Amino acid sequence: MALTALIVLPLLGGIAALFLQRFGRDAERWFSIAVLAAALVALVVAWVGAPPEDAPGPQWLAMVRYQYAPALGLQFLLAMDGLSAALVAVSLALGIVSVIISWNIRKDSGLFHACLLWTVAASNGVFLAMDLLFFAFFWELMLVPSFLLISIWGHGDREAVALKFLVFNAVAGLGLLAAVFWMAATAPEITFDAFVFAEMGIPPVAQVWLLLGFSLAFLTKLPAPPLHAWLPDAHTMAPTAGSILLAGLLLKTGAYGLFRFPGMLFPDGFHVLAPYGLALGAFGTIYGAVLACGQTDAKRLVAYTSIAHMSIVLMGLAGGVHFAMMGAGVEMIAHAFSASALFLLIGALYDRTGTRDLRELGGLQQTAPRFAAAFAVFFSAALAMPGTANFLGEALVITGMFQVNWVLAAVALVSLVVSVVYATRLLKRIVFGAPIRACVVQDLTWSELGPIVVLATGTLLFGLLPQLLLVVLEPAVDAALAPLARP
Amino acid sequence: MSGFLTAALVLAAGLFAVGLFGLVARRGVLFQIIALEIMLTGPALAFVAAGAHHGDPAGQGMFVFVLVLAASEVALGLALYLRLARHADAGDSDTIRELRR
Amino acid sequence: MLTPFLALLLVPAPAMGAFLLLGLGPAELNRRAVQTVALVGAVLPAVVMLPLGAYCLMGTCDGIQPIFDLTVGDAVVALALKLDPLSAIVGVTVTLIGACVIGYSIDYMAKAEVPDLRRYFALMNLFLASMLCMVLAGDSIVLFLGWELMGLCSFFLIAYHVTSSRAIAAGRKAFVITRVADAFLLAALLLLFLEAGNVRLDALIPAGIAADELRQGLIAALILAGALGKSAQLPFHTWLPSAMAGPTPVSALLHSATMVAAGAFLLARFAPLMQAVPLVMALTAVLGAATALFGAASAVFQKDVKRLLAYSSISQIGFMLLALGLGEPEVAIAHFVVHAIFKSLLFLSAGDITQIARGTTDISAMRGALWSRPLAFVAFAAGAASLAGIPLVTAGWFSKEAILAAAWLAGPFGVVLWLVAMTAAVLTATYAFRPVFTGLTRIGRPRPSLGGIFTNLPIALLAVATFAVAPLVEPIMEFLGGAAPHPPHAVELVGAAAPFLGIALAAALTFVPGLSLRVARARRMRSGIRIDGIYQVIIVQPFVKMVRWLTGQRGGIADPVGSIPVLVAQRLTAAAIRPLAHDPLDRGWMGLGAGMVRAWGAGRRIQSGRVRDYALALALGLALLLLIAWGTTWR
Repeated sequence: MALTALIVLPLLGGIAALFLQRFGRDAERWFSIAVLAAALVALVVAWVGAPPEDAPGPQWLAMVRYQYAPALGLQFLLAMDGLSAALVAVSLALGIVSVIISWNIRKDSGLFHACLLWTVAASNGVFLAMDLLFFAFFWELMLVPSFLLISIWGHGDREAVALKFLVFNAVAGLGLLAAVFWMAATAPEITFDAFVFAEMGIPPVAQVWLLLGFSLAFLTKLPAPPLHAWLPDAHTMAPTAGSILLAGLLLKTGAYGLFRFPGMLFPDGFHVLAPYGLALGAFGTIYGAVLACGQTDAKRLVAYTSIAHMSIVLMGLAGGVHFAMMGAGVEMIAHAFSASALFLLIGALYDRTGTRDLRELGGLQQTAPRFAAAFAVFFSAALAMPGTANFLGEALVITGMFQVNWVLAAVALVSLVVSVVYATRLLKRIVFGAPIRACVVQDLTWSELGPIVVLATGTLLFGLLPQLLLVVLEPAVDAALAPLARP
Repeated sequence: MSGFLTAALVLAAGLFAVGLFGLVARRGVLFQIIALEIMLTGPALAFVAAGAHHGDPAGQGMFVFVLVLAASEVALGLALYLRLARHADAGDSDTIRELRR
Repeated sequence: MLTPFLALLLVPAPAMGAFLLLGLGPAELNRRAVQTVALVGAVLPAVVMLPLGAYCLMGTCDGIQPIFDLTVGDAVVALALKLDPLSAIVGVTVTLIGACVIGYSIDYMAKAEVPDLRRYFALMNLFLASMLCMVLAGDSIVLFLGWELMGLCSFFLIAYHVTSSRAIAAGRKAFVITRVADAFLLAALLLLFLEAGNVRLDALIPAGIAADELRQGLIAALILAGALGKSAQLPFHTWLPSAMAGPTPVSALLHSATMVAAGAFLLARFAPLMQAVPLVMALTAVLGAATALFGAASAVFQKDVKRLLAYSSISQIGFMLLALGLGEPEVAIAHFVVHAIFKSLLFLSAGDITQIARGTTDISAMRGALWSRPLAFVAFAAGAASLAGIPLVTAGWFSKEAILAAAWLAGPFGVVLWLVAMTAAVLTATYAFRPVFTGLTRIGRPRPSLGGIFTNLPIALLAVATFAVAPLVEPIMEFLGGAAPHPPHAVELVGAAAPFLGIALAAALTFVPGLSLRVARARRMRSGIRIDGIYQVIIVQPFVKMVRWLTGQRGGIADPVGSIPVLVAQRLTAAAIRPLAHDPLDRGWMGLGAGMVRAWGAGRRIQSGRVRDYALALALGLALLLLIAWGTTWR
């Protein structure tokens, strides 16, 4: 029941938020926070509750199964393991952060908050649904509010960029949909239950094609080159809250899909395609990092670093070894925190100066020391300083790569070095230097500092006490790897 | 069919046709109302003749009904005519073409 | 469990706490509070570390303080701090030097704005805490944590003058190059972790020794590469001379006890593993000797005191690497201790003198220092004497002599190294005494002045220490489990003569006008035989070109790979969709629509509005219906 609430609460809350605007100033904002907080409570309830009896494995913490239209094989099936729980927690937390930092949005504020809540609801749906039809439904549903967020509240050429985002992801989503329907059609009796598919024994050749279909959707969302072109544009033009949700939730759904399904449904296909995934990840991490070094728009720079970091996640997921998989899980969470925080900071800077052009910024160190300190903290996270969760993730992935192939490990290490180049560039242009033009800005306000402190705490806490995260992820990783070990 | 009934029906049809012609050909509203009255007598005659032929009193009942109808129609028609005459100052139905718009 | 080793946790803690309070704490602090916090954070580690060192001296000196354990898969990640002779000696050195340098900074940085001061002290304390973490680490994770954080701090501290683009560039250069070294070290540590399934150093080193030859060699080479980068040895040395852009106390800490010296400590820590791979050991010795000579030779030609001292550090750590490569880590660590003392002394006293000379750090700023700033100058001279290795009285002589002896005793290969090192030793005395002789020249009528207590106390303490440690050098080696090597007396005598030869050379270079002019003109030597320029051409420029090409700043397509799907989609539109844009079916439908509009226009005419017309239509319609009805009755 609590699991259903994780999706239904924000979904209905979004509808209510549409109308709340007229009931008082900021009513919809407080309401959105309340809804997300209630969802957090629901998450805790689901997490600590007794493990489900009918679950197919010990890693599942909670499960909901409701026969929806049995004749059509439709059922409402949600299941949560450690990874889903962690990602849902992150998505709810980032939802609250997004509401707080969007306090100055006045245009159609009701619809804005509805979009925020719907994005959270849909991504929670993706993280929890184990019925693949619902999974695909939430997968596509996620695009709509994000599209609106970019096209209504974005900057610059927002309509075109929103369309690019939508076209890329919707077209790629077709691969997922086609694969799901093919599986449903070949099942002994029609169903969309992932657990049934896992036991079905899909022929190896079909597995390769199905995995390709799934991967098309997942890799586009991740995004892995060459399917990443939508991301820098979308990040740059989206409002700050949109960027945060994009980096913190949407990209993670791609990684989550690659974590959950290839091993579970297509172990044979995985063995065939994993080398290509590794190569793609290795290429992407260098490519993203190098491109980040040359950007002049601060948000674009961070967007390309996202590509680099998510490519490391891809390497970890395609590695198929325990360390790498754990690392990928940790890196997902860590990147959600650090990238969101950087977008938040750059957004706050943009609100004050009206520019994100690195050539026009500078001197925060002298005019706004708190701002500079916050930048420095997440700068360290972006270049995977030990003590941050990002380091934990990348070190685990590299460890795994040493088990898979030393060349890949070397590539990942090179990307660590390049990360210093782009990170110091960001710092040099924004924080250091003499204050230029309008950069004599107001320091971070308390309402901005709050989310920053939360995100920094998350980054450092999981970096310094990794067991908090590893204990949660380990059963999920073991379960994801178990089918791969079968001959 | 008896010759009487045929003759009565032909007469009824003739009366109807005369009335219809009057309705379509004349432009004066008053004449059109009169033509309508003539039209109504045709079916009334047909009812009476058919009732007599079948020996059924319902035919005469229908005639009374038609009479009532004709009376109410004349009342309504004349009231309309008065309205028109006052409003548009004309007894010519062709000048009143508001429906066209 | 309460053991004395619990105190290990308290060693880096005060410095870390001071960092958190100053760097990330939200409270507003005034100047006095900032200075107090910084000083307390810097002195407390020494207060905790000294009894621990004494405890270590007295008896069992092998303790582990676990932090936490966790398992990842089959592997155990057990974080811990560790006290053994090596970490005790180095820990005591680092805490003492750290306390001296940070104390000195209070006066030196007195003119800084409060926010800048706060940032400065926060980073200095973090720097100290990271080095202590690394030194006391009992496992590879804490070791690497300290190692990396030092790189981060060095970046921020070198770029302390945030408005100077030169300082920022120097910081970036330092960070990128040391990060390359970090990547090597990380690779080595992760490979060891995979071998051992554990992160404790006690397990890693035996596992590394037990590994197959290829892996063992690779791991040792990677560790060496990591140490070379962090210690600014050939071929990674270029970042250190540029790093002088930071404030002088930063250089003092960076060069003497932390960061740069960390490479030597790392190799000493992994000495058993390194010794299992003779090839890497030989490489270490050769690179160490080469760097020692290269650094000393470059230092001779420097015009700037701080750059001179930077090349001096490169050279001195080359000596340590030489000892490490010869299998004498104890000797190397003894030199580490001695070097830490005299190098911080040199930097602090030079900083004091040059600060009086209105900020210029040119050697000429030293002119007349004996009269204008007597205490600092005498301290500088003491440091220089130790650096040059004046026999019997200075600590520098004992440790350097041990290194030279170790080289002599290492067979024919060693004699070559001895020759190289001996040349370096002569040059060391030369460059060490050039500023001293410059300081002796009197200009004008200077008024002697004395700095504040925070300037003088650390300088005086360190100056005394350079001599006081002299008799302790051999005991330190023995405490670490080694013995001071002693070559034939003739060789020792040659070694003792080297400093004097060097000093004579320095006098000649300073006072003979022709020679000093030649030194001033030797640009190539001054820029470290331009290795920087070579890197610029073969690495930096191609990288910049690649970045500019990929981001479309050179006229190409921005993000070419990302554009592929977009271009493909556009092509597809052109090839497949555009011909169908004039869809015949669609046109049929559209034509029908247009036809309906026309038909409607025609049909509209029937609507005349005349009652008579409508009546006629009704009648005709009725007639038609009647006709049809009639027609249906036909047979």
